[in-house]
Amino acid sequence: MRPSSLSSRLIVSSAAVSIVLLAITGFVLASLFSAALERNFDHRLRAVADGLLANLDVSADGTPSLSTALADTRFNLPLSGWYWQVTPLKDADGAGDLASASLLEQRLVPSAAALSTRQPDGVAAFGLIDENGVNLRAIEQVFTLPGSERRFSVLVAGNFDELSAEVSAFNRALVLSLLLLGLGLVLAILVQVRFGLRPLRSLENNLLAIRQGKAEQLKGAYPAEIEPVAAELNLLIQSNTEIIERARTQVGNLAHALKTPLSVLTNEAAGQASPLAAKVREQAELMRGQVNLYLDRARRAARAQGIGAVTEVKPVLEALARTLERINRDKGVSVRVSCDEGLKFRGEKQDLEEMVGNLLDNACKWADRQVDVSASLAPELAAAGRQFLRIEVEDDGPGLPPEKRAEALKRGRRLDETKPGSGLGLSIVSETAAMYSGTLSFDDAKNGGLKVSLVVLSAV
Amino acid sequence: MRLLVVEDDRDINRQLVTALQDAGYVVDSARDGEEGHHLGDTESYDAVVLDLGLPVLDGVSVLEKWRRAGKKMPVLILTARDRWSDKVAGFDAGADDYVAKPFHMEEVLARIRALVRRAAGHATSEISCGPLTLDTKAARVTVNGTAVKLTSLEFRLLDYLMHHKGKVISRGELVEHLYDQDFDRDSNTIEVFVGRLRKKLGVDVLHTIRGMGYCVTEPGNAA
Repeated sequence: MRPSSLSSRLIVSSAAVSIVLLAITGFVLASLFSAALERNFDHRLRAVADGLLANLDVSADGTPSLSTALADTRFNLPLSGWYWQVTPLKDADGAGDLASASLLEQRLVPSAAALSTRQPDGVAAFGLIDENGVNLRAIEQVFTLPGSERRFSVLVAGNFDELSAEVSAFNRALVLSLLLLGLGLVLAILVQVRFGLRPLRSLENNLLAIRQGKAEQLKGAYPAEIEPVAAELNLLIQSNTEIIERARTQVGNLAHALKTPLSVLTNEAAGQASPLAAKVREQAELMRGQVNLYLDRARRAARAQGIGAVTEVKPVLEALARTLERINRDKGVSVRVSCDEGLKFRGEKQDLEEMVGNLLDNACKWADRQVDVSASLAPELAAAGRQFLRIEVEDDGPGLPPEKRAEALKRGRRLDETKPGSGLGLSIVSETAAMYSGTLSFDDAKNGGLKVSLVVLSAV
Repeated sequence: MRLLVVEDDRDINRQLVTALQDAGYVVDSARDGEEGHHLGDTESYDAVVLDLGLPVLDGVSVLEKWRRAGKKMPVLILTARDRWSDKVAGFDAGADDYVAKPFHMEEVLARIRALVRRAAGHATSEISCGPLTLDTKAARVTVNGTAVKLTSLEFRLLDYLMHHKGKVISRGELVEHLYDQDFDRDSNTIEVFVGRLRKKLGVDVLHTIRGMGYCVTEPGNAA
């Protein structure tokens, strides 16, 4: 997929947004879950602390003692990760302390920073690490025991690693489901983009059909967003056709407008012997050459912009053969056409007529009795999705030696000045063929004369 | 030989008419398609020079209308439109030849000569009848190889009869094809010219078919 394509833009942007949103969701969910677990854990620790306080007595020397042992046996297992301790604060000079059996002889010492998290109700909650490296979560509260003026710090800690395992299990499940969700979203985006951009694809296909000459207008209904584009394209195609038509008409009119006065000049001068008449004749002849040259160019330039034209080859060949047989009636030349059915030239009918017409005209001038024109697909030349067709014109005349063949294509060159013609024929053919990525080549005909092969674009 | 020139450009029209008259043809001319069509439809011509870009009615339509009406005279299209599609359209409409502008008058004259000759069924530019030979290209008449000097009208008369060798041509038809429209059709001039021609040629090829007209045949084959 090209980086600048519309669908890749849509897919990449949607995927990016989805991934960011999913990541945030995952983070929020994980935090909420662990926060809830912590709160729950804290509540349990608090319940233990409350139980402790309810059963705590203080002897006369200020040493605390527990009247009833706690029910939870984890507090008795050594280093179980579940601990409690009641320690007098600094001002309780000499007084002993009390701790769960699980702590053995150690005491937990919360850092000052941890204690500073104390909340308005006097409870501080924080994390700790015990001897075995187990993560603990602890709550601590300072209070004065009944029957004593001393202040004690009561700390209850629980094994937080047990909780961490639960949190990571949750997180794993969370990440897995979010990944699946993300994958599903990306697939959905792909489908969406494909479905959403389908009208563009059909627009593209229709345009291709027009370019290949299979259609003249964009057909079918388009979504509201593309409809105006399609309508504009249709108008553009239409106006393109009209411009070409107009240009062609104007060129035709110009031809008429210039050629008629030129005829008048030539003929008027032909009847007189004065030097002026000779000059007029000479200049009129030059003008005639220039007019032909530039009209021919203008015509082809007007045509080169045309799009989508397709011409059925056979009728053109047959009409030209018919016409050339009539033109060369006195000479008795017969023009034989062999053309595959349904063969189509990708281009303007007039261009095909000009090319084949000039080739046939040339062949008829040189032929003895017979001219053959054949057209067929040239599959061996097909490349990059473009098909070519080959039109061959053969005559039974004297032929053309290989060394003179390149010469024949030059504009204004006439190999035999005794034959009529302006010397523009073959160069017009080769220039027109070039417009259609085509070529013109010479070979010996099987019946002795010249074979001219014209290769041009075919419409499939 | 009577020709029709249909050409809207005044100068070209004049040049064509003058050149054709100088070549010995009787020429009518029209400046638009409708007038041209009417003349071609009602009069009898030996050939027509027809422009394609005509006012009122274009040349191809004029030609098609003539051919649909069964008019068979040879038509030479003379036009600035020299694309093959124009030529195809012209020939398909029933044209017999095609000359593109700008043209040389000699070419038009040569093509007209060829058209008239072909219409009469002669393949070469020389038409012979026994010892008599008429060269349409050089406008020359010979009897047994010796040139015979004829006046313009005498030549035109013989030319028409030779082109229609073996056919009986009425006096009216001769008048129509040799003179302008305002010629007095009751006059006896044709008779006089035929008599002079017979004398100048000295061979028995020009026959009078009583009550019908004239006919050129090989000597001794009088109908």
